[in-house]
Amino acid sequence: MFLSLKRVPLRESFSALTRIALSGVAIATVALVPTWVAAQAFPSQPVSLVVPWPAGGGSDISMRLLADGASHRMGVPVVVVNKPGAGGTVGLKDVAQSRPDGYTLAMLATGALFAQYNNPAANPISDFELIAFFGDDPAALTVSAKTGFKTVADFIAAAKAAPGRIRNGNDQPGGTSHVTASLLEKALGVRLIKVPYAGFAPTVQALLAGELDSTTVGVPDVLQHHQAGTVRMLGVAATERHFLAPDVPTFREQGIDFVSGTWRVIVGPRGIPADRLAILESRLLETMNDVEFKAKARAAGFIVAPLGRSDTARRLAAEDAAMYPVFLEAGLVKTRQK
Amino acid sequence: MDFLFGNIVHGLAVAMTPANLGLCLIGCVLGTLIGVLPGLGPTATVAMLMPVTFRLEPTGALIMMAGVFYGSQYGGSTTAILVNLPGESSSVVTCLDGYAMARQGRAGAALAIAALASLFAGTVTTFLIAWAGPAIASVALQFQSPDYVAVMVLGLVAAVVLAHGSVLKAVAMILLGIFLGLIGTDVSTSEQRFTFGLDTLFDGIGFVPLSMGLFGLAEIMFNLEGGGEANRTRVAIDRLWPTRQDFREATPAAIRGTLLGCFLGVLPGGGSTIPSFAAYSLEKKLARDPSRFGHGAVEGVAGPEAANNAGAQACFIPMLSLGIPPNAVMALMVGAMMIHGIQPGPQIIQKQPDLFWGLVASMWIGNAMLIVLNLPLIWIWVKLLEVPYRFLFPAVIVLCGIGVYSIDNRLSDVVLMAFFGVFGYGLRKLDCEPAPLLLGFILGPLIEENFRRSLMLSGGDPSVFVTRPISLGFLTVSAVLLAAVLLPAFQQRREQWSEES
Repeated sequence: MFLSLKRVPLRESFSALTRIALSGVAIATVALVPTWVAAQAFPSQPVSLVVPWPAGGGSDISMRLLADGASHRMGVPVVVVNKPGAGGTVGLKDVAQSRPDGYTLAMLATGALFAQYNNPAANPISDFELIAFFGDDPAALTVSAKTGFKTVADFIAAAKAAPGRIRNGNDQPGGTSHVTASLLEKALGVRLIKVPYAGFAPTVQALLAGELDSTTVGVPDVLQHHQAGTVRMLGVAATERHFLAPDVPTFREQGIDFVSGTWRVIVGPRGIPADRLAILESRLLETMNDVEFKAKARAAGFIVAPLGRSDTARRLAAEDAAMYPVFLEAGLVKTRQK
Repeated sequence: MDFLFGNIVHGLAVAMTPANLGLCLIGCVLGTLIGVLPGLGPTATVAMLMPVTFRLEPTGALIMMAGVFYGSQYGGSTTAILVNLPGESSSVVTCLDGYAMARQGRAGAALAIAALASLFAGTVTTFLIAWAGPAIASVALQFQSPDYVAVMVLGLVAAVVLAHGSVLKAVAMILLGIFLGLIGTDVSTSEQRFTFGLDTLFDGIGFVPLSMGLFGLAEIMFNLEGGGEANRTRVAIDRLWPTRQDFREATPAAIRGTLLGCFLGVLPGGGSTIPSFAAYSLEKKLARDPSRFGHGAVEGVAGPEAANNAGAQACFIPMLSLGIPPNAVMALMVGAMMIHGIQPGPQIIQKQPDLFWGLVASMWIGNAMLIVLNLPLIWIWVKLLEVPYRFLFPAVIVLCGIGVYSIDNRLSDVVLMAFFGVFGYGLRKLDCEPAPLLLGFILGPLIEENFRRSLMLSGGDPSVFVTRPISLGFLTVSAVLLAAVLLPAFQQRREQWSEES
């Protein structure tokens, strides 16, 4: 918001004379290169990027960084609007119902995949145009140092020796870390007590307090405690090691094919004209591939792994195929059953 | 001690740079302003400041954001005292006696007591963070789910004490509060309860629309019913400064409030709201003549105001020493650190000494600034009372509307606030008090969540509540308190007090 304030006055401070002169130039250019101008006409006003989560969380921070970078690329302010509520469905509904002119975008994260099956009021993913993939926040299996587990193999052995005894803290049923824990149970062939907490911070607190044996939250949430030695990350659920914790092997390195976590996608309401979609896609990809932007995002703890429209659609279809059975098994599918 | 002294000097050196002093002042002024504006809370303000912090050096950014948070605790009591409208949720109980004092023409004294109690609490808590922050945080880590249940049960029992009149009505209000708190999505199962399929109710009813409706709007309706102007006190405001007697009564209350605020603020989910409620209950319980409460008791202002400021600063302890944000504002501060590539957690004191000690020192400087800022303002605030009610009340309603909307950018919250305004008016007509309802609303869902979690972890064995020493201790105190309330002899004395008042 404040970022935009900085730039707008500059644009508006053109004197009337300059504006007339400029429009003259513009008209001349229209005649010369019509397609180029048609492309340049968008975006011509501020773009709002709705984050359906409260300010300050990972989603908010990543999108504010993106909005800051995209403002430069697009030449118009990209403004983050926080519209939290109902696990992200309130903000997404607003965007789904907005005019598909490309000026209203939203961030859609893992939770939206679940909401479409659980909450009859939520919009299905098909109500949105997928524009670009931001990246993954991989989950990690983290245990309290008191458990003495050093590797995923230790964890599996203990869980198999006492089925349903290892306490694993996560968020509410259907939440990202709950889904991760459920997928983990399948991948490892074990059964855990899944204890729900209202968010990641209380989960980590409970792990430190010794109320839990393990958690399946994101890497940044437990990083410092891992470094301090009070908890231990056994495995990262990603295709490669996390740059923040290069000492922690992935599950794959330990012989288990398990990838899970939070991902974020930039979407818009269905029906945005194809030319505008193409502009948005390329501007966002340029922003995310920018070296300086990547460094900034990395410093804040984010892995940026941009994908274009078609790759994003493929990725989401794969996620859906993996997660739907988990929801079904947990009795969480209330609507749009497949 | 040398270690502490050296660090504080180091911190002061960081906090006293012109840039950081300026940012601290901006934060405190902004905090006071949004504290005065009802509903517009520190969370929304800190969120709006986030983009600015991209361009700032991290220590300065955090100093400013912290200033907004504790500054709002100072400002929040102002409207509570003057117009019975809690500027922040943590000043709800300040309404009870602060507004009563204002109606007796002692608004100046009430505001001064609130500011001084806040300063005292702020100073003590700052030193506590510097001296024992990490140690205190590790005590908080001893608390597990069953212990939270026990602490909150104690809170609910204490809520009965909050009420002035009938115990039966107080219990009814608590139960109603618990019921309202159950609306929304259940954490344990993700099931929706009592939402009627409405998106608005999916996350439950917000505390701000509820408290502003029940207190602020209901009060306005009540005043208008009596003809607005005529109903208002026309007591001459003879002095702005508290009397010696006021100070004698307020000082011990402020000390108790500070200790309680420090303790409750450190616990996860802590902040400034629950401490203020707890401090009020404690003061009323300890008072030789509890009937004075609700009729302008100085302790009823000093205790909660000290507690909410202590709580607001104490919740920096888990954030700075464990990286665990106990509330939304702390989560935003964690976010601001992450943007600058600082991973909050146990190593921050060693890795970022400038940031940690600079922030701690700035809190003390900020508190001093706030008192300099607020004491002269009292005169202006009291003048505000002379504004004709027909101009004041529409302005207050508009500000409430803006404040409530700004929380989540949702119009439905404004509608909810209006609904609870009418509801609160009905409650007042029936002599039912909203304060126990609000406490039930806050604590009920937390008890449920922790209770179910305790049983899940214990494999369904309810003995966890009595085998853990912390939990057993709090439950015992609750039982003793409850017995005291229910004992017939005690009951008779209560009636006596009611008659006296």
